[in-house]
Amino acid sequence: MSAPAVIVPAVIAAGETAQSVTERISAVTLREGARPWSPLWWWGAFAFSLGLLGMGVISVGWLFYAGLGIWGIDWPVVWGLDILNYVWWIAIASGGTFISALFFLLGVEWRTALNRLAESLTLCAALCAAIFPILHLGRPWFFYWLFPYPNTMGLWAQFRSPLVWDFFAILTYVLASTLFWYFGLLPDLATLRDRAQSQGLRVFYGVLALGFRGSGRQWRHYRAVYAVMAALMAPLVVSVHSIVGMDFAGSAAIGWHSTQFPPFFVFGAALSGFAVVLVAILPLRVLLGLQAYVTDRHIDVLGRLFLTSSLCVAYAYLMDGFSTFYGPDPAERTMFVLRVFGLYAPVYWGTIVLNILLPQLLWWRTARLTPPLVWGIGLGVLMGMWLERFQIIVTSLARTQMPSSWGQYTPTIWEWSLFFGTIGLFLTTFLLIVRLMPVVAMAEMRAMLRGGTA
Amino acid sequence: MPSLKGIPGDERDWIRRFPHLEQALAHPLDRRRTLKLLALALAGGGLAGCDPGTPDRGFVSAVRAAPGVVPGRANIYASAHVRDGYANGILVTHQMGRPIKVEGNPGHPSSLGATDLFAQAEIQDFYDPDRASGPLHDGMPAAWQEVTTALQALRAVPGGAGAGLRVLTGTVTSPTLGAAVEALLAAHPGAVWHRWDAIGRDAVREGAAAAYGRPAMVIPDLRQVDVALAVDSDLLDSAPGHLRHARAFAGRRNPVRGPMSRLYALEPTPGLTGVAADHRFIATPAGCEEVIGRLAASLLHNEEPSGGPDWLRAVVDDLRAHRGRALIHLGPDYGARTHEAVHAMNEALGGRGGVFDVFEPAEYRPAQPLSGLPDLMDDMEQGRVRALLMLDVNPVYQVPRFAEALPRVALSVALADRPHETARAARWHVPLVHGFEAWGDARADDGTATILQPQAMPLYGGATAAALLRFCAGDVVRPARELVLQVWRDRLASERDWRAALAAGVVPGTASARLDAAIAPAMPRVLPGAGPADLTLLLRPDPHLWDGREANNPWLQELPRPLSKTVWGNPLLVPPDLARSMGLRNGDEVALFVGARRAVLPVWVQPGQAAGCVVGLLGSGRWHAGETGDGVGADLYPLRDGVGAVRIVATGRSVDVACTEHHATLVADRPSDIVRHGTLARFRQEPGFLGVARNDAASIASLYRRDPGAPVAWGMSIDLNACIGCNACMTACQAENNVPVVGRDEVLRQREMHWLRIDRAYEGTEEAPDTFFQPMLCMHCEQAPCETVCPVGATMHDSEGLNLMVYNRCVGTKFCSNNCPYKVRRFNYFAFAEQERRPPVSRNPDVSVRGRGVMEKCTFCVQRIAQARIAADRDGVAEQVATACQAACPTQAITFGDINDPDAAVRHRKASPLTYAVLSEQGTRPRVTYEARIRNPNPALET
Repeated sequence: MSAPAVIVPAVIAAGETAQSVTERISAVTLREGARPWSPLWWWGAFAFSLGLLGMGVISVGWLFYAGLGIWGIDWPVVWGLDILNYVWWIAIASGGTFISALFFLLGVEWRTALNRLAESLTLCAALCAAIFPILHLGRPWFFYWLFPYPNTMGLWAQFRSPLVWDFFAILTYVLASTLFWYFGLLPDLATLRDRAQSQGLRVFYGVLALGFRGSGRQWRHYRAVYAVMAALMAPLVVSVHSIVGMDFAGSAAIGWHSTQFPPFFVFGAALSGFAVVLVAILPLRVLLGLQAYVTDRHIDVLGRLFLTSSLCVAYAYLMDGFSTFYGPDPAERTMFVLRVFGLYAPVYWGTIVLNILLPQLLWWRTARLTPPLVWGIGLGVLMGMWLERFQIIVTSLARTQMPSSWGQYTPTIWEWSLFFGTIGLFLTTFLLIVRLMPVVAMAEMRAMLRGGTA
Repeated sequence: MPSLKGIPGDERDWIRRFPHLEQALAHPLDRRRTLKLLALALAGGGLAGCDPGTPDRGFVSAVRAAPGVVPGRANIYASAHVRDGYANGILVTHQMGRPIKVEGNPGHPSSLGATDLFAQAEIQDFYDPDRASGPLHDGMPAAWQEVTTALQALRAVPGGAGAGLRVLTGTVTSPTLGAAVEALLAAHPGAVWHRWDAIGRDAVREGAAAAYGRPAMVIPDLRQVDVALAVDSDLLDSAPGHLRHARAFAGRRNPVRGPMSRLYALEPTPGLTGVAADHRFIATPAGCEEVIGRLAASLLHNEEPSGGPDWLRAVVDDLRAHRGRALIHLGPDYGARTHEAVHAMNEALGGRGGVFDVFEPAEYRPAQPLSGLPDLMDDMEQGRVRALLMLDVNPVYQVPRFAEALPRVALSVALADRPHETARAARWHVPLVHGFEAWGDARADDGTATILQPQAMPLYGGATAAALLRFCAGDVVRPARELVLQVWRDRLASERDWRAALAAGVVPGTASARLDAAIAPAMPRVLPGAGPADLTLLLRPDPHLWDGREANNPWLQELPRPLSKTVWGNPLLVPPDLARSMGLRNGDEVALFVGARRAVLPVWVQPGQAAGCVVGLLGSGRWHAGETGDGVGADLYPLRDGVGAVRIVATGRSVDVACTEHHATLVADRPSDIVRHGTLARFRQEPGFLGVARNDAASIASLYRRDPGAPVAWGMSIDLNACIGCNACMTACQAENNVPVVGRDEVLRQREMHWLRIDRAYEGTEEAPDTFFQPMLCMHCEQAPCETVCPVGATMHDSEGLNLMVYNRCVGTKFCSNNCPYKVRRFNYFAFAEQERRPPVSRNPDVSVRGRGVMEKCTFCVQRIAQARIAADRDGVAEQVATACQAACPTQAITFGDINDPDAAVRHRKASPLTYAVLSEQGTRPRVTYEARIRNPNPALET
């Protein structure tokens, strides 16, 4: 391989050893003896997140009491911010799995410093996504009817419905990513248990470490299981987003009934996944002092992946228009024209600018290595992906085949408060994980420094 | 939850209900008084549990059911729905002794089995919780004893109350009421009876009388008509006998089933008759009069048409060419002279005895000379009226200065079904029993009489108009049944005849006699039109609230107006060009002036309305209609006697107008496929040009099993040639299926619940569009997209092809609605049914009332199918099912039945070359198909 024209930054700062990695990362979590126990920025962010979460709890409480009518959904737009946010969050939840499982299997070195944070982001986002399929029901207390459980009435889930597939996909994904995340944590939890000074922390991490002592046998089992789980997670992330795509493609509604939706949604998921990892990691590496482990090399690689997924999404947008006009359905065409030029046109063009045009800046290496710019692009794409879902869900439903049933949709305060409430839930859980769990996989870093796998 | 109308509820509502309480609470509340009130509340609670104790209604719970009442089985009794005096025969369905549904009486000449939306909605009127619960004196509750004492004074006057006594009623066809009026006038010489309707047909009456030299009723027979010109006509939607006319009209509109008629319409604002026409011409009322003048010149004086609109010559030629088969019909909003001219033209066209005939009027005293409301009001203002009986009329609301004149009457008595504006302004309000609660009679437009038999015990108590008049006449107080019997003693002498007449709902042989009166010879040559005006205001009755009497009926408030599709309000209908020139958009508020009189209301752009015409709908803006109707819309009655120019000034504000169709008015590409239509000429060349052949759904390949398997396959065919968009089916569906009303705010949020809607499509220009109606309901697709996406199997297919909705299983994902191409599924965003004010006993017990969070939709009236199946199993007869919409439809546009049955009407209709399925390219294979609309334009007018 010829030498690259530019010097590739290292994946870890010079002079780091296994000892220094363990010490520095454990110290970020344990902070024993430090006053205050958590940094002030953390308390501030945590209070803000709890505020948002509280708003979400009130919104859900009122929703259960008063019913779906408090939302702005109507006839014909029966799905609104609820499904939109579900799709948005589940796409965000993909990033961790892509980085952690897919690139683990590919054996790339830069994955190691990122995987813990990325997986944590996945977990928190999947949690936020998982509540919407229940909340969007007219009678949410019967959500378990989607599950094929034995009952005296002999009723069964209706397996032709994409919503049943979706129910299983989400359940599997949440369970699998939780296990994957937790299993990967075990050696580090054991490290923290061993390094903690106070009895309380030792018990806390000791219980969580499930008796991991670092014996050769445990390491052998650990590596085998981790690899198997990674091998399961990688296809799972593709399947879950394909099924989310099929929630739409499996229906006959115009604007949804498209065979390209499953890959389209995987592309979209990758784009939001990389965006959220960038948005989270850029400030965190400064705040937690992780510049030695999350180097410019990581940001550069993530920027390239980010750009790649943006181009994939651009292709999907292009094909969306192409198949609409290539196909025979005049209603599809009418809807598409109204989507691009009608009432909701700003949403469409916002999507194009934020998801496609903005990331093109990342072609320039200078741009990729300017953290505030990358952070801004990441945030822009997260908003763009939200708009894309609005465009797919709302404009399709608002302009159906029958002009007599055309309608509009305006979200109410209760939909917005629920949305911001889930942002609160996401931030709260993520801040807790960042504070209580090792933010970088120490065992894997040590293994990398040794030149092997964890 | 917001109130239905979207305006804050009256917190002091209880004071309205219990006026004495306000007095009691007005005093300072000391300890003694508080304890007194507490004791009263306790005692009242106990008393509320008692029955009234009057001897004639001892309530005994039905340990053994009344004879003939079987739980779960309906009983049906004939009666009539009376509107503006004229009767439409109805059959009232009872469950366990309570009326729950109205159907048409097939044996009645004005019903022929169909009903209009008013008859369907009468159930809501009957159970209206705002009906009068007792007499009022000066607005305060009074005892019945006090009322009789007060009226006794009237009886006690020696020689009668004389010249000071006046009676005000609407049009009367009831022989019993007529006899009671006679009795009163006999007992009080000098007393005067005044007839007045807020939405009157005086010009029609006077025009016929002038033309034939005596009171006459001209009744067209559209079955015979080959070519008709309808000028601002109400023939299909509200004229007496309109159900029969609609049936006859529709019978001549489908070229598959017989020769088509041709209808020209000329009108200032689109009405149901106009949009059903083959050619719809637009003119202001003055323009309409001018056209009639020119027509008269041509048809009566054989002048060649000159001047006037360019289409006139072709129409005149067509009318002349169909001599004896041609008819001109004029609506009630034109002068008697114009009507006279139209009668003369019809005589000249030679259609008498065929396309129309002249009959003895069915009314009581049709020739009553000028003693309408203006005379009464003059006399009231002059102090010449000492006692006034107002029987089922509401002039305080409908006549601008009436409220000022009324206090000058010493003894004013309003007989009214609810404490409405007039009832509160009068000294005495006597509750009027509902038509379902009392004996009575009424005649149809053709004179056929119906005995109205009570359908239930009075819910609140009250008197009939005849009984009140008889009492005031000093007669012995007798039950209402005897008053009716007394009138019909001669004709229905035997108990058998009487019972037969009750059962049939018609008294045989009572149709009016044909008159041989000749047309008066002298005819005016040219009728003077009104002077040119910049802006003409047409004040028309609201198509659903009529003169305002239905304002408290939530079904009718929320029923989309046929063309504008607006609900819960009466926006001013403005023509597109005026809207453009003034920069007005739907919902922009304007101040409408007639001289100095003013009303403030939002506008609604009405495509196809004559330039320079604005249309205000009367019947809204009531202040004492009841909780549902108070304050909905703007009261335009005050503009009626405004003098001066009509002006519109935009206020700069904008308000939300609830409307159930949200798409841009003109959509170019889709309706032509969804509502297929073409011309008769094209149909003759190629009958299948619009039908299945164009897009054969059956050829779409499928992986799924198609055959549902059962011997019976339910299906429906809807004839778009017959549908006139009258909304009777929607109301019938709402009544049959317990479809809840959601209120104005929820309609604004696009959450109305109608299972069946009438889609209205425009094509062409906004100034003169072609209008199409299309009833849209669950298509019961054989390959139903909704079924495959429901995760819990709450919507399923049955073996007979019904797409079922299992409410108990529904969790409310709403995915079915997304996947329904026809968007006929409705979701209960709130517990809409719980919030309705109607009492639970008024609901159809055979249909589940849906709770919050579940989806619902048309079931093809599965409860009726089940009843038919039970009957078939029990009696071995074939299953005969009519859905509620089908039963109500005046034009028989809807046919339902077993498509496997080779003799079924629905099968024959589906075999029509015009049959097509909406969105057939979706491969849903709907069981509901449509017959495409064929129009029969005059080739001479084709451009």
